Amino acid sequence: MSEAALHIKDLVKRYPTGVEALRGVSLEIKAGEFFALLGPNGAGKSTLIHCTTGLAQPTSGAIEVFGHDAIKDYGKARQAVGLAPQELNIDWFLTVEETLDYHAGYFGMPKRERRERTKELLDTFSLTEKSDERTRTLSGGMKRRLILARAMMHRPCLLILDEPTAGVDVELRLELWHYMQRINQEGTTILLTTHYLEEAEQLCDRIAFINDGQIVGEGTSEELSTRYGVANLEDAYLALVGRNELSRSKIEAVQ
Amino acid sequence: MSAAQIRFATLWRREVNRFMKIKKQTLGAPLLETFLYISVFGAALGTRIKQLHGIDYVVFVIPGLIMMSFSINAFSNNSSSILQQKFQGAIQDQLSSPASPLELLLAFTFGGFMRGLIVAGLTFIVASLLVDLPVDHILVLVPSLFLVGFFFSQLGVLTGVRAEQFDDVAFVQTFVLTPLIFLGGVFYSATLLPQPFETLTHFNPIYYMINLIRYGFVGFSEVSIALSLLALTAATAALFAINLRLFSKGYRLRA
Repeated sequence: MSEAALHIKDLVKRYPTGVEALRGVSLEIKAGEFFALLGPNGAGKSTLIHCTTGLAQPTSGAIEVFGHDAIKDYGKARQAVGLAPQELNIDWFLTVEETLDYHAGYFGMPKRERRERTKELLDTFSLTEKSDERTRTLSGGMKRRLILARAMMHRPCLLILDEPTAGVDVELRLELWHYMQRINQEGTTILLTTHYLEEAEQLCDRIAFINDGQIVGEGTSEELSTRYGVANLEDAYLALVGRNELSRSKIEAVQ
Repeated sequence: MSAAQIRFATLWRREVNRFMKIKKQTLGAPLLETFLYISVFGAALGTRIKQLHGIDYVVFVIPGLIMMSFSINAFSNNSSSILQQKFQGAIQDQLSSPASPLELLLAFTFGGFMRGLIVAGLTFIVASLLVDLPVDHILVLVPSLFLVGFFFSQLGVLTGVRAEQFDDVAFVQTFVLTPLIFLGGVFYSATLLPQPFETLTHFNPIYYMINLIRYGFVGFSEVSIALSLLALTAATAALFAINLRLFSKGYRLRA
């Protein structure tokens, strides 16, 4: 088995409309890494995640999750992945507790283990008081917690977090950061997409920039800054999307 | 239980749980509707028509009503459940699990099948309390009911997968299924119709289903039982094969 948690080679995704969302992406995330995938809206981040988790079907290329082919051996590959998607895709008919219990059931977890794990995660994400409530009655922040708890239910080795802190308050964001750091230290590999660059800088070991369906840069925050000849990750990002004029250091220098 | 068994049981439990949570709508309403049909056609019209082919009119009608409740409930459950989950995005939780296309298809299928079976079973119990309802050919009745339920469950799945809005589901139910069922001889014998309507009825597949169920209960049929069973089995198998192919390809489920 490969040491890589996620190995992507020459991945192409062309939608029936003709739009090519991924144009030969190759990427490797090592087991135990905290990895950020950054890029503007529409760059291909979510498509890459959907191809990895079976929500989209690649046009060509290869994806391996802990050595398991995500297409041919999808059962084992998906078993290893936990996905907290960008959209709050919760089942309105279920209660909070049922949401977690059913998810673990979909991943084949026995009843007693499901019960214990549900209790543990409800407690971790401060959802215990809401356990019997229908999911549609939850606030946005509570739904975000639930989605993260759901992704963790089956103890995935690779956790994919697609903009997990979008639209949450400062308190919850910090809470989520602490939690992500903790589970990463405990051995879970994390792939994070975010638009908050300081989040990626603070949490992640390595960062990749994706733009127009291609990986255009990869390395640590410092390495990327050096590569783009700029002072920090934000300026490297702006150089990537061709908006150097927005650089705060340049604006301050002019003022 | 193995992981695969737990997974399938959970997928199925989710489908049953959905309609049980809204049972006033999913079980209560269809039962009331069937009771009203029995009252109007049995008690009111029955006093005028008395008998058809030597069978009390109300007894002649009830097998068709049982078939109708089984089929419409199986269909509408699956088409609505799949479309709702597609709208909410909640279906992603199941699609990104290790569940195979066959497991997903069977779980959705049996959800609607269960609802149809419950409504049809309760209709049978209520009808048996009101009139003396015979069961003349149980060996024809049981497989026929199973095939009818399975066929319409499959049709519901197909409609739900193809549908992009609720109008698409309503169209099939209102403009295709309901006319075919009503014109298939639930409330009358096709032999009473003038030409060309009698001949046209023979092109309605539901006419054969109603006759199978009616034969199972009262021992009367206007068509060949063996040929009808064979045709229904072939149609159900063909629909299942189409659905399995759609699920395997991820048609309108995976991007």
